Amino acid sequence: MKKVIGLLVTAFVVLGLMSTNAMADAAKGQKYYLKYMKNDSGMNGAKFAVQHTQAEWKALFDGKGEKFIAEYSKKFPALEGFFKGDKFAKFMADIKDFCIEYASDSGNVPSC
Amino acid sequence: MKRIIAPLLVGAALTSGFAADDLAKEVAALKAQMAELQKAQSSINIEALKKQIGEIKAHDAGDNIKWDVDFRAAYDALDYKIGAGMGATGSYDMMAPGMGMFAPTGSSKVKNGIWTNKLILGMGAQPADNLVFKGALGVYKTYGQDNMAQTSMFQDFDWYGTQKPGDATIKLREAYFLYFGDMGDVHYSASFGRRPSVDGFMTNLRADNESPASPVGHNINMEFDGASFKFDVEKITGIAGMYFKICLGRGFSQTTGAYSQAMNGSFNPGYIKDGNNPNMDLAGLLVQLYDNGQYKLMANVFKGWNMMGYGLDITMNPTSMTTGSYTMAGNGFHDVGDMTGASLSLQVNGIGDGINDFLDDSVFFISYAMNKTDPSNKTVNTLTMTGYGLQDASAMGFGGEGMLGSTKDETGSSIYTGIQVPGFMQGHRVGLEYNHGSKYWRSFTYGEDTLAGSKLSTRGDAYEIYYTLPLVGKNLTAQLSYVYMDYDYAGSDMFFGQTGNPSGLMGVMPYVTSASDIRASIRYRY
Repeated sequence: MKKVIGLLVTAFVVLGLMSTNAMADAAKGQKYYLKYMKNDSGMNGAKFAVQHTQAEWKALFDGKGEKFIAEYSKKFPALEGFFKGDKFAKFMADIKDFCIEYASDSGNVPSC
Repeated sequence: MKRIIAPLLVGAALTSGFAADDLAKEVAALKAQMAELQKAQSSINIEALKKQIGEIKAHDAGDNIKWDVDFRAAYDALDYKIGAGMGATGSYDMMAPGMGMFAPTGSSKVKNGIWTNKLILGMGAQPADNLVFKGALGVYKTYGQDNMAQTSMFQDFDWYGTQKPGDATIKLREAYFLYFGDMGDVHYSASFGRRPSVDGFMTNLRADNESPASPVGHNINMEFDGASFKFDVEKITGIAGMYFKICLGRGFSQTTGAYSQAMNGSFNPGYIKDGNNPNMDLAGLLVQLYDNGQYKLMANVFKGWNMMGYGLDITMNPTSMTTGSYTMAGNGFHDVGDMTGASLSLQVNGIGDGINDFLDDSVFFISYAMNKTDPSNKTVNTLTMTGYGLQDASAMGFGGEGMLGSTKDETGSSIYTGIQVPGFMQGHRVGLEYNHGSKYWRSFTYGEDTLAGSKLSTRGDAYEIYYTLPLVGKNLTAQLSYVYMDYDYAGSDMFFGQTGNPSGLMGVMPYVTSASDIRASIRYRY
């Protein structure tokens, strides 16, 4: 048993050193949505994300998200400050991932 | 020579004249076709088509079952220490202390290494805006054949069908529908079915699940069937994320099966009361007191009726007036009483606000939970003396009355805390957890996926460290975890009657004093 554990731990460390992942995170995006946007949008995350299809969200977040900022600053003027601040630039990739993950054509359905 | 060349030149000139005419006609026809195509193309509304495709995609995504796969291969190294105690001798002597039925046993150690495969097939569909179906089928098995059917009478228990490894049978893990609606500013949902009730709030972190299942994982983590009714009151209270959820569950159904045989040899009607353990029900209120994405405060209160305790048939075979042998065999479940419980839990997802990336990406939680018993004090054991018939087990001190080994109302409590922070490289996560349970602590965490037994049920101290890393994004991940449980009392992960006695079965029998579980796993999800 000790040998198996030793081998597996070694494999785990090697895998850990080899793995490099720079990725956006839908769960973090949801957190940022709740923290920074929900109050001013007045809708929960699920309702917000189903406003567009995945392709539409991708188009809106293209580049630095100029189209997204334009559309949602107009819809929710109170959010304009957040969209033009450093935090949005920092968290945009995660928020984009969250919107795409739960888009109207994602097939993701809310749980209990 | 001229006679030959001249006609040829005349013929070539005539032929090229005809060819030029054909070419001009073909060009004109092509131009006409092009004009038609241009006209047709200009009448197509690309934006409308895009919209239509989007609508079709959204519709198709919702009205068919969408499957997802969660597969894990794991190796668990299990290590137990069993303390000294009094073991059953199989013989008695009424003149000896304690009737000589038990004799001291020394402490011992046992260990094992287990390979397992765990497959969860998730389902989801949303045929209408206000209707959702969710489900999951699961198989959790050890590698190869095993002897569990001969060694473990509770192996196929309903409460952890897909959370404890067994054979390759596919079992129902979740199946429920959700119906939503709005009553003014209150959004509500109603749901019936087999609940999403394992790896809930906080315990989803160690399970590496992005979203928690429904309950507070500190005191409820098991599979069961029931219903829930949720009311979002955020808009009317002005408190971020506030909701109430009424949860109903049945942990045991009192019924015979089809074609059960009566004592007189005839067949009973199907699915009638079996006269043994009554229905075991639970009703609870889950309240999300606050959730702004960073701070989340949850509470629950519940009551369980007709909790199950295991009874024993004790048979004494006298060889003289004072001596003989005895056997003990299980006689099924009995209603041993009711139990209430509650919890209050706080999770901070991102410590501080923009202090640094490390703290922004760290999660901390702390939780308190309690339980209180209300024993019925029914005698659940029988005592038969061969040749003398049924004896009064209670009068002899072998009745097995009470809950958690006590005939009084007992209160237990537990604290649970943990932190999850970024690991050494991007995407890696490392977590540390600790929990402590008191003498009469009893959780409903039978579905916790720890092979050495639920750490959150521990009457004593439990520690865990885990490290999770992505191999192919979030689709293929690896995890290494170590759980250590240091028990102060017996009966931590047992049922609600005499088997939950903090002093050991019959108040004397030996029990596991410490356990550890090292798990290395690799997991595919899509």
